[in-house]
Amino acid sequence: MEATEPPMSTLTQSIASRPIFRTARFLLRLAIAALFLFAAITKLVDPSSFVQQIANYQLTPWPATALLSVFLPALELCVGVCLLLGRWESGALAWVAILLTIFSGALLSAIVRGLSIDCGCFGRSIENTGTLWPLIRNLALLVVTGFLWFSRSTKSRPAK
Amino acid sequence: MTALRQTGFILLIAVGLAGVTAAVHPKRPSFLGPPRDPNEVTLAQTKQWAGNILWVDARSESEFAAEHVPDAFCLNFDNWTERFPKFLDRYNPGQRVVVYCTATSCQLSREIAAKLKASGVDDAYFLEGGWEAWKQQNRP
Repeated sequence: MEATEPPMSTLTQSIASRPIFRTARFLLRLAIAALFLFAAITKLVDPSSFVQQIANYQLTPWPATALLSVFLPALELCVGVCLLLGRWESGALAWVAILLTIFSGALLSAIVRGLSIDCGCFGRSIENTGTLWPLIRNLALLVVTGFLWFSRSTKSRPAK
Repeated sequence: MTALRQTGFILLIAVGLAGVTAAVHPKRPSFLGPPRDPNEVTLAQTKQWAGNILWVDARSESEFAAEHVPDAFCLNFDNWTERFPKFLDRYNPGQRVVVYCTATSCQLSREIAAKLKASGVDDAYFLEGGWEAWKQQNRP
């Protein structure tokens, strides 16, 4: 995750400097921020309810499940705030990618094991979403995150 | 600041926030053990209710056809639309409804019990251990 990427080519720089590209990138970053903030707040409202949704996946023993029910919303909140403010963007995008990969793995394992459970992605605020559509949504979000990561401006890239 | 350092700082802040949540949130989870669902009942409890229980089998129709709790009613998400009116014909208000599915790992009984409650069946519960537990206790 060190800033070892090669410098942008002239063509890439030319595309990245267009206002429409920068606006689209800004809106996508805000959309991811809003999604993570919403997910965090809905879970932080009632961790004791969210813990049951994590337990439904049957992937972690109890103390870990309880810890995850307070840690995951806290991390989502931090990531959402960073993306909203445009601060520590590289670190926040890295966490978005890590979290989406973990969530997708958990959803996939639930599908493979035939578990009929709710995603729990947004606490109890949005229920009965199943597991397949959230998995597809997560994969689409990973693509967006990849775009945001590779299109970071030189300014937002960490200093060498 | 490197991306790695940023991820580290975000992690530290999140851990701190999680610690505060775990310490002071009025709805923080219990870290000692999972809370017992008030709608979950054990076989021992159902024996005390003998004679006033309507058993609901939430497994598939083929599993139900193979074997089931005597007089159980097959009701799951797949046949809900067709079977729920028939369930209401069988159900007497005041009767306790106990839903079971395959085993403890099965979540269907919990969800069907919740759906029954949402549909107006107040005394709907789900069986701890499911069909496996019932079969073990009632083995000939």
